[in-house]
This record gives sequence, structure tokens and C-alpha cells, in this order.
Amino acid sequence: MFPQFGATAESLSKASTMVFRIGTDAHLYDDPDDVSIAPLLDSKFDSEKCEALKRLLALIAQGFDVSNFFPQVVKNVASQSLEVKKLVYLYLLHYAEKRPNEALLSINCFQKDLGDPNPLVRAWALRTMAGIRLHVIAPLVLVAVGKCARDPSVYVRKCAANALPKLHDLRQEEHTSSIEEIVGILLNDHSPAVVGAAAAAFASVCPYNLSLIGRNYRKLCEILPDVEEWGQIVLIGILLRYVIARHGLVKESIMCSLQCTDSSHSEKNSSDVDFGLVKESRDMSGTCDSEFVNMVSRCYIEGPDEYLSRSSYANRVSFELNGAQFTSGKSNDDVKILLCCTSPLLWSNNSAVVLAAASVHWVMAPKEDVKRIIKPLLFILRSSNASKYVVLCNIQVFAKAMPSLFAPYYEDFFIYSSESYQIKALKLEILSSITIDSSISSIFKEFQDYIRDPDRRFAADTVAAIGQCVQRLPKMTHICVDGLLALIRKEFLTNDFGSGDQEAGVLVQAIMSIKSIIKQDPPSHEKVIIQLVRSLDSIKVPAARAMIIWMVGEYSSLGVIIPRMLTTVLKYLAWCFTSESLETKLQILNTASKVLLGATGEDLWTFKKVFSYLVELAECDLNYDVRDRAHFLKKLQSCNLVSRGPEEGTNGLPEKDLHVVAEYIFGRQRRDVKAESINYRFYLPGSLSQIVLHAAPGYEPLPKPCSLLPDDLNVPEGTCSIKKGAADYGGTDGYGTSSGSSDDEEESASAYGSQRSITGSSGGSRGDDSEFTSEGNDNVDPLIQISDIGNASENENGVSQSSTNLVELMSNRALESWLDEQPGSSNPGISEQSKVRKSSARISIGDVGRRVKPKSYSLLDPANGNGLKVDYSFSSEISSISHLLVCIEVFFKNCSSETVTEITLVDEESNRALDSADQASVVDESSLLSYDNVPTLVPMEEIASLEPGQTTSRILQVRFHHHLLPLKLALFCDGKKLPVKLRPDIGYFVKPLPMDVEVFMDKESHLRGMFEYTRSCTFTDHIEELNKESGDSLLIKDKFLAICESLALKMLSNANLCLVSVDMPVATNLDDASGLRLRFSCEILSSLIPCLITITVEGKCSDPLNLSIKVNCEQTVFGLNLLNRIVNFLVECVLF
Amino acid sequence: MLQCIFLLSDSGEVMLEKQLTGHRVDRSICDWFWDQSISQGDSFKPVIASPTHYLFQVVQEGITFLACTQVEMPPLMGIEFLCRVADVLSEYLGGLNEDVIKDNFVIVYELLDEMIDNGFPLTTEPNILREMIAPPNIVSKVLSVVTGNSSNVSDTLPGATGSCVPWRAADPKYANNEVYVDLVEEMDAVINRDGVLVKCEIYGEVQVNSHLSGLPDLTLSFANPSILDDVRFHPCVRFRPWESHQLLSFVPPDGEFKLMSYRVKKLKSTPIYVKPQLTSDAGKCRVNVLVGIKNDPGKTIDSITLQFQLPPCILSADLTSNHGTVNILSNKICSWSIGRIPKDKAPSLTGTLVLETELERLHVFPTFRVGFRIMGVALSGLQIDKLDLKTVPNRLYKGFRALTRAGEFEVRS
Repeated sequence: MFPQFGATAESLSKASTMVFRIGTDAHLYDDPDDVSIAPLLDSKFDSEKCEALKRLLALIAQGFDVSNFFPQVVKNVASQSLEVKKLVYLYLLHYAEKRPNEALLSINCFQKDLGDPNPLVRAWALRTMAGIRLHVIAPLVLVAVGKCARDPSVYVRKCAANALPKLHDLRQEEHTSSIEEIVGILLNDHSPAVVGAAAAAFASVCPYNLSLIGRNYRKLCEILPDVEEWGQIVLIGILLRYVIARHGLVKESIMCSLQCTDSSHSEKNSSDVDFGLVKESRDMSGTCDSEFVNMVSRCYIEGPDEYLSRSSYANRVSFELNGAQFTSGKSNDDVKILLCCTSPLLWSNNSAVVLAAASVHWVMAPKEDVKRIIKPLLFILRSSNASKYVVLCNIQVFAKAMPSLFAPYYEDFFIYSSESYQIKALKLEILSSITIDSSISSIFKEFQDYIRDPDRRFAADTVAAIGQCVQRLPKMTHICVDGLLALIRKEFLTNDFGSGDQEAGVLVQAIMSIKSIIKQDPPSHEKVIIQLVRSLDSIKVPAARAMIIWMVGEYSSLGVIIPRMLTTVLKYLAWCFTSESLETKLQILNTASKVLLGATGEDLWTFKKVFSYLVELAECDLNYDVRDRAHFLKKLQSCNLVSRGPEEGTNGLPEKDLHVVAEYIFGRQRRDVKAESINYRFYLPGSLSQIVLHAAPGYEPLPKPCSLLPDDLNVPEGTCSIKKGAADYGGTDGYGTSSGSSDDEEESASAYGSQRSITGSSGGSRGDDSEFTSEGNDNVDPLIQISDIGNASENENGVSQSSTNLVELMSNRALESWLDEQPGSSNPGISEQSKVRKSSARISIGDVGRRVKPKSYSLLDPANGNGLKVDYSFSSEISSISHLLVCIEVFFKNCSSETVTEITLVDEESNRALDSADQASVVDESSLLSYDNVPTLVPMEEIASLEPGQTTSRILQVRFHHHLLPLKLALFCDGKKLPVKLRPDIGYFVKPLPMDVEVFMDKESHLRGMFEYTRSCTFTDHIEELNKESGDSLLIKDKFLAICESLALKMLSNANLCLVSVDMPVATNLDDASGLRLRFSCEILSSLIPCLITITVEGKCSDPLNLSIKVNCEQTVFGLNLLNRIVNFLVECVLF
Repeated sequence: MLQCIFLLSDSGEVMLEKQLTGHRVDRSICDWFWDQSISQGDSFKPVIASPTHYLFQVVQEGITFLACTQVEMPPLMGIEFLCRVADVLSEYLGGLNEDVIKDNFVIVYELLDEMIDNGFPLTTEPNILREMIAPPNIVSKVLSVVTGNSSNVSDTLPGATGSCVPWRAADPKYANNEVYVDLVEEMDAVINRDGVLVKCEIYGEVQVNSHLSGLPDLTLSFANPSILDDVRFHPCVRFRPWESHQLLSFVPPDGEFKLMSYRVKKLKSTPIYVKPQLTSDAGKCRVNVLVGIKNDPGKTIDSITLQFQLPPCILSADLTSNHGTVNILSNKICSWSIGRIPKDKAPSLTGTLVLETELERLHVFPTFRVGFRIMGVALSGLQIDKLDLKTVPNRLYKGFRALTRAGEFEVRS
């Protein structure tokens, strides 16, 4: 009965814990793989999918590799449930880089989602698509980002800005300029949220392109307070860099005060202003550590590594900032506005923002204004422990450079016992560097409390800090030394009982502090030394003893009392020598020889005796260091000993020289070693490098002052459109902040009085966007421009377009119209098309089909194949077995003199297991299922024998795994195996899809935006054609015809397409082929997805033509590759 | 930019990893980190350079938030972000501990994904996050058990992401319009060994809980703003009115938020006194601590506690009090909870500490950390003058409260 009861109790308690965890995902985290995940992923219920995905996420969280589920997870990307989508995205981003091929499968879904009316869906799709980081899709992402950068939703635009660094990360050179262009657009956005994200993108994509900032500088400053906190941090840094690069340092700032002094030393004819400054800086000389500040400011500009690497001091000076590199903070508007806009940020809730704003003021603000950063800096000390540490690290540098700033606030650095050791140590260091006469007494009171803190390491640090304070403020010397001596006395009392190493640390530190105080002015501290020597008896810590003994030697001739007690002390030391530790023994030996050197009169004899005694003892010491030291000292002192001591023999060197050497080694005129290394490293305030004290990768010092010339701001021609946009912004900005009436004034003031800018700004804040697109069109789609010219509706058209944009800002309909418009293609709707149709004539070229000659490629060279020559060409035939197969006609020719037998082609990898998942990259999901059944190569009918000179051909049906990678085949002939490679031609991965022009247009209108890609190239084939017939009196019409024919021929000979229509403009200029347009249609073999190709011609008939090729296809990767292929073969010269 | 975020339990177990960029961070870095943190103990820095990455760490309620980066970035940005994550999580999950994070790991993932994109913070405003991802609550939990449908991901983008007041949810509607303003103050004080008040200051927050319909525009003014030494504001506060007239003009977020924090320095007195006396000789130390009310703030002082760390050289302690309870915890922390001070007697703690055998007398002395709470009083003396709404809705209720508690209140002995 009892066990039963126990069982119930157990299950009860289990149940009670379950109650708390009910409804949570606890069970998923605890046992993520207690059910089979795979079937759940394929479930048709969203809830089951969710569960499976959560389990996978739990496994990821726990560090398991579950990438093997990738294909199944990717399929769910198409789910309508946002939760499933989110979970899939989380999974996808985690593994995309590992499984690039399968990740490609998701691209289509992202493309679809990018057109979703829900901005959240668009944003997620963009974020994830950019996040999977595949080189293949980079162009697609770029297009998507470009489009989303003009999205009506702020959130989507923000995500577009965030996607830019992801693209940049792929390091594809060819995209750099377009990425920077988008950064420029986004920096110009009217929404602060977008600007913040754009600033982050700028910082990681093109931090040196400061001219981009120059265009918007004022606007960026003004928008700064409204930007999101994280964006503020980055933007502040960028603006600071810009101002320095553009205008140089501020004359009145801390950073400059010293450089001005330097330059006025070197050049006496410096201006009056400089003299004023010098005076001022001398007045304040007590307040800032000049050398230190100088070093700091140089480090900021040059980077400490560069600065320190200049070894000689002379070189350091040679880097001199000349007067031209300074600007005045009082008269320069750019500097003023930056300081003005960053000062309210000192009140920010985010300590990172406060620190960033403070560092701008630290570098740029006039000296008298710098103090405003102090209180905010001290206030952010009351955030988390981690930020406290970082802030203190920065304050430490500020305080060392300008102690006067922090001196009144010493109370803020008082230490709480609950703080961590690092923070305590930093506070101590700051306290000791900011003490002034008025605060020292309270600080010392504090220090006395700290010394009794249970944390002895902290107590030892406090003792060291006392030493440092005294060095700064000699007035306090006596009080401090007395205090330290009392401490030592107390310490050794307790120390007798051996309460650990940490106590010893305090004692050693106390003696060290006293030592450093004595060093400053030895004669006044004679009594202190004596007291220390007296306490030798009781101090047992070797390091402490060694230090006191060193002091005996060092100051042996000081004053009157010490020389008198030397004999006693030395005797005492000799007496306890054997029981000392190593370091003390060495110090005793040193001290003895120092005393010997300085000794005169009657004591000399005693010293000599003691010294020889010590040397004898030491020579038998167990430690070799002590023995060596003894030998060395014996030789060195032999001159002193020899003069009256007979025991020492002769030696190599003359005695006089030895005496000089000894004097030199133990002499008293040694140079002071600076306590603080001059080679301190400083990094910009708020940077990571300043905390870890080395330059972290990516750290950049401030730009060289005035390195950005005003000329640089003149925009290069290529980015003209942005400049216009920026100029227009003047108008739109006014529109956004003040009333609409000022808009017009700004507009009239604008230098860009062209029609375009009028339409642009009348469109409100979206004007620049629409303008940008239309600008872009000029390169991309010349047809529109042509048809626009001479068309009275141009302006009207532009206005209506931009006015809809204005509406977009407010309404949700925006999206639909945006989707309809598709600014990328920019074809403003069907009306445009009808216009084109009206003004153009259709021509037909019927006889092209005959002249189509498929290109043939060599599969096997006769040289390699024992005289067998194998060529192949892609056939336009369609496989009857599977739509995945591509038909290839293979020609076999025997070029040798012998008969070749048993020729056959087989798939080299046929014996390998087909891993569909790994090899599929272009096929969509539906084909994935039927994939395994289709062989790579349909077995070819064997050619029994081939006589010399004979030719035969076979139709081969091949399934390419990838439309770019060659397929490895093996050719068997005469029983030998020859490896061959079959190169795919994407032009034959499609089959002709006959359709009407109307159908074509209709389909095309559904495949806009993401599914549309355009490239342009030049075409020259027709010139030859025209030249051939130039003799004849050719009609213009025929010229056009010739162009059309050669174009169509080229297209059809290289790809399996269907020519839909040829449109010809009824041109006024008869020699102008512009406006000629050819349409082709086809269908992707594997997925039966239609693919539309439009070629538009521009240029004179007899010159090379500019073609713009447009592909509309739902399968984006395929479409893009097809487009590239078409451009390639169109550019290729025909070799007839 | 941040590359990865790890959440570590108090035993060093990696509970969660979230990779943020393409440069994946192996979780073995956490082992390295944990070894370091154990070996360095108290002197572990919050920003360190590991052999491969720079690490930022923030510890809250036993959970370590660890972020890695390989490139230069403002360290405070990383730390502040981690703090924000910790705050948001703790608000969502009602506190932080190992179990609650594991139980809600999906929400944690979803939140992290919204909060940071490609290593750069994306949406950190709690109000918007709450609209995007529903916090777990009893209703949703039960609902998920009953219906099996557990989606907590919102399918619409919160309107606030696009508005010019990104902290405010778009157009909430309330039948009763209420706004509560709380002054919550913490007193930091140091009393040195001579019993002198070395430093006494107030760190205060103005916490607002607003349930107002539409887009309210509030103005809050203080009767004595000059006593404020320094201030920090929520992003909703407009800078200009503060600069010119010291007025807080703002469009509040919906629900609870911290409107501003402030500091008042150089206060002259503390509400209670703590007088420790330690006398040690002959291997023993007699402890006697007296606690009492010094300056009656007019309201009851409750939750008075006293804590101190026994010095390491103590073998045993025998401590008793005439009021409240005394506990000595395993890590040699002695905790005396007093509660309220009775009218008839002054609470005192007495007892002896036995020192290590060779030790004659104690030479290090513990610091006493004091805790208390006073409802209804802002000890800084800051007073709210009035709270105005630009357009007053019908049925508006305004409430004001104040509270002071001890922050870093230390008495040295």
C-alpha cells in the first residue's frame, strides 16, 4: 500500500510541475527528438509543421546539427501560416550557407513574398533572402533590395538598409557601386528609422565614401535626434569623421590646444590667434596634462600603431598639423550644428548613445564646453555592471588627459564594496589621477577605509594609489608616509601569524609606495628610511625585506644618521644572510657592495670584512644565482679589497678601470624611469579597441584632417541621379518639416530647374525615388524614352505617376499600385504599350526558320580519340520520355584509317547512387518528386562499327543536373573508355511555346518586378549582312528586315525559342533602328514554366546596335542565367 | 557588428545559440568563456578578447548573455543591446531563469530574430515587439492546449514601425483613460567607519503607466526641477521644452515605461541609521549593530534588511538579534531581516565571531549593506507639479505615487 501511495505522490508532484509548464514548449526543448520529425514536416497541418520546426529549433539551440532536414524544411517556406514561415526562416538562416543548393529552392517563394501586400511578409522575405548569402542569388537580392529601398513601408525600407551589409559581405566587386547607390538613397530617406539603418549600412559598406555624407550632412544632423538609438550611435561616429575629414580639427578644442603650441614654437611668425591660444593653454596648464593630451590626439588621428612605430622622437614631431588643418568651432557652421545636435543626446536613455555623443564633444567641442559631457558620463555609470566598466575605461583616459574636468566629481568614484574588482581598480586609478588639494583629504579618508576592506588585493591597490596621489600632490607627503608606516607596523603585527599571501601583497605595496615617495625627494625622508630599517627585524615578507635592503644601499650616504648605522645594519644582514630567501640574498650582496663603494674612513675596513664574509657565504650558496652574483661582485670589488686585503689575487683588468665599472654599475646617478610608460595606446573613445587595448580588426582612427576636399563632394558623373535626388531633397525636406509654402521657395532656389526636378519635388518626398527610377530607365529600357519623346503626355505622365506616389504614403492602396507599377521596369502600364503598338508596325520574317543552323560543339577530338571525332549540337526536338531530358544530336565521324567498333556513350556516374537532393538546383518541388526515376542519360543505341571516313549520328537524351555545370560522360570505343564532358546550353533547356502577341503581353504583365531581369549589350552581326548587300540599292525597309533577320537567326540558332512578333517603329528617321522590338517565348523543359524574352534595339542601322534584353520568368535563377547566356551569344561574333 | 548570441545557464550550459551573420561562431567559445570566468572569478572583465572573438557579457538573474564579434564596434552598443534583450525576455517570461528560457525557447528565438538583424539591432521597442510576438500568458497557454493552435506570431506589421512615434502602438482605444505617474527612487549612500555620511544621493525614475486613447500629448512639470543634477530621457521626450522650461513634453508609449531617470546629489541625511561596533581581541570579535530611525520620513519604513559578508578569517559566528531574523548563508553572508522598526525598542544584532586560531584580532572589517523601502515618499524631495493633456478625453484618471528604497546603501565598520 505504501509504495503505491509513494508512486501517486511522485506522479502528483510531477503533475504540479507540469501545470506550470503547460502550454509552453518545455516538452519540445526537453525531448526534441522523441518523435520522428520528418513526417511532421510533411504534414498538411500547420500545427504539426510548427511542432516539427520547433523541435528542430530546440535541437539547434542545443547545438545539434539538423541540417539533414533541410530539403523538407525548405518546402514549407511556401506555407501561408506566418508562424510556420517565421520558424522556417529561423531554420533556413541557420543552415543556408551549409546547403546552398537546396537554399536556392526557396528563392522563388521569397520572390513571391516580396510582392505580398503585407509589409511584414515582404520584410521577412527580404531579410531571409539576403541572409542566406549565396553568391548565385546576389544579383537577385540586389534587385530586391533596390526595390524595397523604395517600398512605401518604413519597416521594409529599414530592412532593405540592413540587407546591404549582407550583400556587401559576399564581396562581389561588380555590385559595389549599386550597393553604395542604394545606401545613398536610403541615407536620404525622410524617415529617421530608415536613416539610422542606412547609417549602419554605410559604416559597414562604404565608410570612406564620405562624399555621400557631405551631400546630406545638414539633413543628417537635423534628423539625428529622431533617429533610433542604435542608428544614432553609428551616425554620430560617421558625422564626426566627416567633419574632421572636411574641416579638420577645431582650434579651440582640447585635441588642438597643444598642437598649436607646438607649431608656434616651431614657427615664430604664427598668427595672433595662435598666440592667444598659446596663452590660454598656458593659463590652463595646470588643468590638462599637455604631453598626454598631445599623445592622445595624435593617436586618435593616426592610430597608435602608426604613431608609435615612428621610433625616434624627431620623427614624431615631424607630423605636424599646419594651421590650415584647423577650423574654428565658433565660426564653422558644420561643426556648430554637429555639436548642437549631439548635445541633447547626452540625455539619452541609451548609454552607448551618451558615450558616442560625449566623444564627439571630447574631440570637437571648444575647451570650455567640454565640461557638459561630465555629468552625463557620470550618470551612465549607474547602469549595468558591464557598461559601468566600459564607461570607466573611457573616463580613465579623459580624466588623465584633463583631470580638472573630473576633479570636482571625485565622490562619484568612491567605491562600493559590492562592485567587482575590475571596477574598483579603475575607480582607484581615476581617483588617484584627479585628486587636487581640496579633495585630497576626503579621498584619503576613503582610502583609509578601503585599506581595511576584506578584499586584500583591493587594499593593496589602494596603497599603490596613495603612492600615486602623493606624487601628484607633494604637500600631502608627510601625512601619507606616516599613514603608510603605521600600516606597515600594523601589517607586520598581523603578518607574524601568516595570514596569507594577500596580506603580504599589501605590505609589499606599502613599501613600494613609500619607496616611490622617497625617490622624489630622498633627503627629506631620511627618518622614514631609518624607521623602515628598524622594522626589518619584524618584517618577514622576502619581497618587502629585499626592498628595504635595497633602500639601505641606495641611500647609504644620505644625511648623517644613516651612514652611522650602516655598520650595524650590515652586520645584522650578514648575520641573517643564510636564512634569507633568494631575492633578499641578492639584495644584501648588492647593498654590501654599494656601501663598500661609497665608504670612507674607518668604516671601510669593517665593510670590507663584512663584504668578504658575505661573498664567502654566498659562494657556497645552494642557488647558482647567488653564487654567480658573489663571483661577479668579488671580481668587481677586487680593487677595493686588494688595496689592503691580501686575500685577493691578480686579475686581468687594471684596478682603476674596475673601479670605474663598479662605480658605473652601482653609482647613484641613474636616470628616473618614468612610472607611466610613454608608449600608452589610445583609441577613439567608445571603441572596442580602447577597451581591449589593441586595434581590433576594422578599427579606423579618425580621418586625416581636411583630407576630404570640397572638390570630392562634386559628384562623379556616374551617380548623377543621386545627386539630383539629393538636390531635390532640399525641397522635400522643407516639405516635411515646415509648411508647404516654403517648398516652392526652395524649389525655385534649387539649381535644378529642369522639368524633371519639378516633377520630382511636386511628388513630395517620394519624388526623388520616382525620379531615380526614370533616370535608371534611360539605360535600361530605351524604348520608353523613344516613345516618350515627342509625346505630349510626358509631363502629365510623370506628374500622375508621382502624385500616386504621394497617395501611397498614406494609403494602403499604395502597395497595389506599387506592385502594378513596378518601378524597376518602369513601364507605366498598358497605356504605354498601346502607344507603342499604335506607333509601330508589325513585320514578319517567315523564312528565318530555314536558315537556323544549330551550333555544334566538339565532344571528342580525333587526336584524343584514336581518330574518332565526336561533335554534338543541341537539337530542338523534345524528348518523349521525360520533360527533364534535353535532346542532343551527336555526330560520330571516323577520321582514322581503321574501323572503330562498339561505340557507345554512357553516364560516368551512372553507377553512383542518385542523390537528387544534392544535385537538384534548378528544379522546383514538383519535379523533385519525379526526379529519381529519370536517368541522367537515356541509353544510346550502340554503333556497332564505323568505317574510316564514315559519319553517323545519334540522338542523345540527357538530363543535366545543373544548367551551368558540364556533365561527365564516358565514351566507349574499341573497348576503351574515354572521359568526355558534355557542356549544357541553357538555351536548349527550354522548348518553344507558340503564343499570340496579346497572350505574350498578358503573360508579361503578370511577370513583372522580381521576375523581370534586363541586361544590355551591343550587336554587330547585321553590319556584315548589310555590307554584303551594300552594293544594291537597298530600301530602308529592307535594312530593318536584315537587322531583324540576323537577330532572329542568332537567337533561334542558339536557343530553342519561338519567335512571337517583330515590332518595327514607324520611324521618321529612316536610318534609325531604335524601337525595333523582337519577342520570343519559350517554356522551361523541366517545370513547364513560361519564359518570355523581349529584345529592344536602339541605334543607327549601320552602326553597332544597342540591344536591351529583357527576360520575364518566374524561375528567377533560371531566368537570370538564360539572360546571361543570351547576352553572351548575341555579343559573340559569327564566324561564317 | 554582433555575430552570435549565446544564452548560458548559471552552470555554464549553453541553452540557446542564435547566429546572426554568415560568419558562424562555434559554440566551443562558450566553454572557453566559462573556464575563464571560473578561473578569474571576481576580476573577470565584461569585455574580453578571446583567441578568436571579442566577447561581451551581461549577467542578469543568473543567466549569462554572451555576444561575440570579430570586428570593431562600440562595446557599449553590444552591452546595452544585451541588457535590452535581457529586459525584454524577463518582461515576456516574468523573470529569468534556466527553466523559463528553455520552456519558451521558441519565443526567445522569435524575439531575438526581431530584435537584431545581421548583427545590428532592428526592433528593440518593447511595445512594438509585444505586438509582433505575443507574450505567453495563461490564456494563450490554455488556448494552445485546448485548440492545439499556438501561434504567437502576429500576421500584421505593427503600425508603430512606420509612424513618427515608433514607441507608440497605433491608436489604442480605452473606455477609461488612465495615466499613472510613479516616482521610484533609490538611495545610494556611504557611511564611513567614523559614522560620517560620505556620500548620499538619489537615483530616481519617473515611471509612467498610460492607458490613453488616440495620440495623447502630455506635459509633466515639476515643482522643483532645479534639484535635479542630471537627467536621461525616454526617446519620446522632446528636448526643446526641457531645455527652455524644464517641462517634460511627450507622446507616451502605451502601457508601462520609464519616462526619465534622474539624479539628485548631496543629500544631507538618511532615513535610518545603522551603527555597527566591532571589537576584537583574544581571537574573538564582538559584534553589535544598532538600527533605528534617524529622520522620520513621515511614512513607515519597511522591509529593512542588513547584509554583510563575514571576513574570510572567521571560523564560526554566533549572532542573535532582539528583533527580526538572522541567517548565515553558505557563502558566509550574514543576513538580518528586520522588517519594520518597532516602536518600543531599537533592533540590535549582537554576537561573537571566532577567528582563525593564530589570529589575535580582526584587522579587516565587513561592510554592511542596508535595504529598506518607504512607500509614499520621494526622499529626494522632487515634486510633481502637474500633468496636462493637450486634448483631455472624457473620463480621465490621473494618479501619482512615490516610493523610495535603498540602492547601494553601505555602512562601513
